[in-house]
Amino acid sequence: MSTDTSDAVSATGSPNAKMTARDVSVFYGDKQAINSVSIDVDRDNVTAFIGPSGCGKSTFLRTLNRMNDTIPSARVEGEIKLDGEDIYASAMDVVQLRARVGMVFQKPNPFPKSIYDNVAYGPKIHGLADNKGEMDTIVERSLKRAGLWEEVKDRLTDSGTALSGGQQQRLCIARAIAVDPEVILMDEPCSALDPIATAKIEELIHELRGRYAIVIVTHNMQQAARVSQRTAFFHLGTLVEYGLTTDIFTNPRETRTKDYITGRYG
Amino acid sequence: MNNEPASDRFVDPTPTDWNSAEMQARIRKRYASERRFKFLGLTAVVASAAFLAFLLLVMLGNGIGGFSQTRIALPIDFETAPIGLDPDLIRSGSGEAALAGADFRGLVDYAATEAYGPGADAWFSGGAWEIVRARIAADPDILLGKATFDLPAASDIDVANKGDGGAVSERAVADLERRGVISKSFNSAFLTGGDATDPALAGIWGALKGSLLTMAVTLALAFPIGVLASLYLEEYAPQNRWTDIIEVSINNLAAVPSIIFGLLALAVFINFFGMPTSSPLVGGLTLALMTMPVIVIAGRNAIKSVPPSIRDAALGVGASRVQVVFHHVLPLALPGILTGTIIGMARALGETAPLLLIGMRAFIADPPAGLSDAATVLPMQIFLWSDEVDKGFVEKTSAAIIVLLVVLLTMNALAVYFRNRFEKRW
Ligand SMILES: Nc1ncnc2c1ncn2[C@@H]1O[C@H](COP(=O)(O)OP(=O)(O)O)[C@@H](O)[C@H]1O
Ligand SMILES: [Mg+2]
Repeated sequence: MSTDTSDAVSATGSPNAKMTARDVSVFYGDKQAINSVSIDVDRDNVTAFIGPSGCGKSTFLRTLNRMNDTIPSARVEGEIKLDGEDIYASAMDVVQLRARVGMVFQKPNPFPKSIYDNVAYGPKIHGLADNKGEMDTIVERSLKRAGLWEEVKDRLTDSGTALSGGQQQRLCIARAIAVDPEVILMDEPCSALDPIATAKIEELIHELRGRYAIVIVTHNMQQAARVSQRTAFFHLGTLVEYGLTTDIFTNPRETRTKDYITGRYG
Repeated sequence: MNNEPASDRFVDPTPTDWNSAEMQARIRKRYASERRFKFLGLTAVVASAAFLAFLLLVMLGNGIGGFSQTRIALPIDFETAPIGLDPDLIRSGSGEAALAGADFRGLVDYAATEAYGPGADAWFSGGAWEIVRARIAADPDILLGKATFDLPAASDIDVANKGDGGAVSERAVADLERRGVISKSFNSAFLTGGDATDPALAGIWGALKGSLLTMAVTLALAFPIGVLASLYLEEYAPQNRWTDIIEVSINNLAAVPSIIFGLLALAVFINFFGMPTSSPLVGGLTLALMTMPVIVIAGRNAIKSVPPSIRDAALGVGASRVQVVFHHVLPLALPGILTGTIIGMARALGETAPLLLIGMRAFIADPPAGLSDAATVLPMQIFLWSDEVDKGFVEKTSAAIIVLLVVLLTMNALAVYFRNRFEKRW
């Protein structure tokens, strides 16, 4: 449940914003997928993006760490800032940005390497550990934070792909945590998991809240209600409504939001 | 909204009778077609295995004799033999000249006639005298007395001794057997010597070494260039008309008849750049041109089959493009790239047509010492020997084929080994 007590949130202008997006539009070739979205991502809370399939949730999420750069046809307009720094400025190093704004994907995608190497990969390429001892510490800490340590501590050399789906997804979260990001983006992290594994991930999101700013895309509204304190509802590439999760689910301002959360379409 | 009652929309179907005769017949038919398909598949596998086994057995049967050589013991009494040499002369400064001037061929003929009667000089290999000379040069003191030399037999005697000769030769062999002077032993000269006009002395090492050097040049060029090209095309090149044109060109290049590569190499490497004719260097360059497109095509397919989610994962923790490629994509694509490489290399190993044009079909007696020496390759040696009239070359040809197949199998085994080492599952 939401534990936030502040009175209201506006889409923009929060003093506690970790990331701010202003008038962001995204195009795939000629096709516009996101139309002038402005939103603040809160530093201490979990923000959920909900909306029907194809409305642009993933597209918008991927603009926040410039993963769209890898799609040749994608073009981003508008301004996105991380702690006041324009992430699309030429001075911004995209490699560093993605370490600061980590990502967990829809389908668990561990590297076909050992569990240890999966977690150690990020710290290794960013030079975060000077020796094996430091790396061991980082790996252990990351796996503990991801709630996976107890299950894998005796088989760190096993392949990451040999784990169950839920464990794989937590391994991916540990891998993202290992580079000590400031923001973690999760794109439907539970859609490929069974209910028990989903519950574990949701619990984990609760524990990570506060340490990292978290944005989670989900099409499961109960999940949004359970894990987030802020919810943004997207429809057809526009941001329809953004506010406290409790408000969105109990007292939506827009009829489109109301229709969606009561299951009229989706 | 549809207001019709639900019962009107669905006509109640008659329940399916799973036991009806028609249903049973359908099931039987399905099983029959399953069995038929299995049988056809099995037949295809067995037929191709049988072909391969037949080929190998025939080659082995024909070629195994090429690895052994019939020898005849020849006693020479140097006190009476017309050679005109003595140990002191050989050890003196003009020893070389004396050896070069002496008539060893005549000596062998003389000794053969002395020992086994008129006509026996034809029983010995035309190159047998070289062995006599070599032994005298090494140990001149044998000139002071009598010595027995184990000399290679002429090819008709050799063939007769292996059970396939003419009547005259058979009689000679029988005669020699009665005297107990004929023997058959492993022909190490075949594996260590170069080509010769006399089948008893001809060896495969020259061609084998030529092939190995040529393949080394081919691999050293085609593999890195092919891998880098496929990585660039898949991971970096923008998708536009130019990359389409390049893709079509590479596909066509892989299908160009190999002799055309030979013409190209002749014009460019030899006539324009003046590289040495017949050399493994030019041969390797030519075959690299042929092999590279095969590696590029296999490499691109292997790279395409690396799941995009792995790239996302690496990019997501802040890996650069180059790190994504070299830490993740390349290792995962490597087994597929190696498979393509081995197919290309196997084709290059068996290639003759383009090498004909750059002069690698010459008669080459000395194994090449380096990349720019004149050389020939295994399939070319097979072709040259199969063209010889001397009957002794028939089994040499088969023996050379065996050597070629062994090299091929070794290459494939190495590739399988590396592929398994790099193979990762996800
Ligand atoms: N790589 C792409 N190229 C072209 N169009 C895309 C691409 N990815 C997504 N789209 C389009 O952009 C729209 C938004 O997609 P997406 O962000 O994946 O939606 P969601 O995550 O909300 O389901 C969809 O219409 C989709 O077809
Ligand atoms: Mg999506």
